Amino acid sequence: MNCNVATSWIHDYLDGELPREEAIQLKAHLLACPACRSRFEQLERTEAYVQAAFSADTRSLAGSDAYNAAALTDRIIGALPTAPKKRSWTRWLRNHPAIAVASVFAMVMLSSFITMWEQHGELVVRGTDLDQVVITGNRVIVPEGARVNGDLTVENGITEVAGEIQGNLTVIDGTLNMASTANIIGEEKTINQALDWVWYKLKRTVNDLAS
Amino acid sequence: MISMEARLARLALKGDQRAFAEIVGLYQDKLYHMAYRMLNNRQEAEDAVQDTFLRVYKNLDRYDENMKFSTWIYRIATNLCIDRLRKRKPSYSLDAESNEHEGLDGYSMIPSDNRTPESETLLSEVQQTIHKAIDTLPAKYKTVMILRYLQELSLQEIGDVLDMPVTTVKTRVHRGREFLRKRLEREF
Repeated sequence: MNCNVATSWIHDYLDGELPREEAIQLKAHLLACPACRSRFEQLERTEAYVQAAFSADTRSLAGSDAYNAAALTDRIIGALPTAPKKRSWTRWLRNHPAIAVASVFAMVMLSSFITMWEQHGELVVRGTDLDQVVITGNRVIVPEGARVNGDLTVENGITEVAGEIQGNLTVIDGTLNMASTANIIGEEKTINQALDWVWYKLKRTVNDLAS
Repeated sequence: MISMEARLARLALKGDQRAFAEIVGLYQDKLYHMAYRMLNNRQEAEDAVQDTFLRVYKNLDRYDENMKFSTWIYRIATNLCIDRLRKRKPSYSLDAESNEHEGLDGYSMIPSDNRTPESETLLSEVQQTIHKAIDTLPAKYKTVMILRYLQELSLQEIGDVLDMPVTTVKTRVHRGREFLRKRLEREF
């Protein structure tokens, strides 16, 4: 047997982790090799002394004047904050990073929507074919006999429809007056509440992305 | 079944200070011994123990009941002791003589109380030699030796406390033992 292996096995033996089979081989080597035998004896002695030193240590320290256990206990308890920190929402957030990120995102989106929502007041007319649409003041008029080829969107105005609209009509924050001659081929919608409006914006964004 | 310590920890978390005092009672002496042997200074050892319990108290809600409570508290205590050792670690070699302090080597500059405090006189000369030898070990070996021989932890438990593989723990125990063997053979 190699003496290096024997040294390693001696340590395993002292750790109480050398399998029986190998312990027998080690014993054979120790009988044949005086150097390893001497090393084994020294290590065995070291192990015993170290164990004895620490066990004596425990006993002597317990009876020592320099260590006042009760005083230290008082000091420890006295230094504690009055109540352990409650499970705070910040810790919950730290444990759920995905939700934290998502909620921050939602907050930013919502605030930007609200900002946009508050930028109202101005009349906005949007559409693909506005040639025949008449705008006077804050009134948007599709006169009788006129025809809008596509969608029409009006924000912050009064919309009067007497003609024909081929696409969708959307009225945001305004009123819609329809004459009996009016004919809207697509969808017709009036949006007045923030949430509806947000939903509309979202849908439009998705539609834009899709097309 | 959940351990007694885990039960006490739950109560302490709900604000029951007496439950926490029980935990202190269970571990104070063990931690003090460990800190004293790590730091070789009574005052620092007491401070380290106090810091440990304070940290335990503040982090009770983070205690993972799958881990043995002792493993957790020893981990906190060893980390705090190692931090303290690192903070005072001299940048010069222990054996080199200092230029500024003539005749003093590194050993005499480590803050340490009297090398033979009253309690040490109860220890035999061999035992004192061993403690002095262990005190000169680098921190990573010292920690392993103290957990092994003072706290009587298994190699696996030491690995859990120090968050390192058992093979590393074994190597450190073996090297530490070789170091002490050489020291002792020189002395006797």
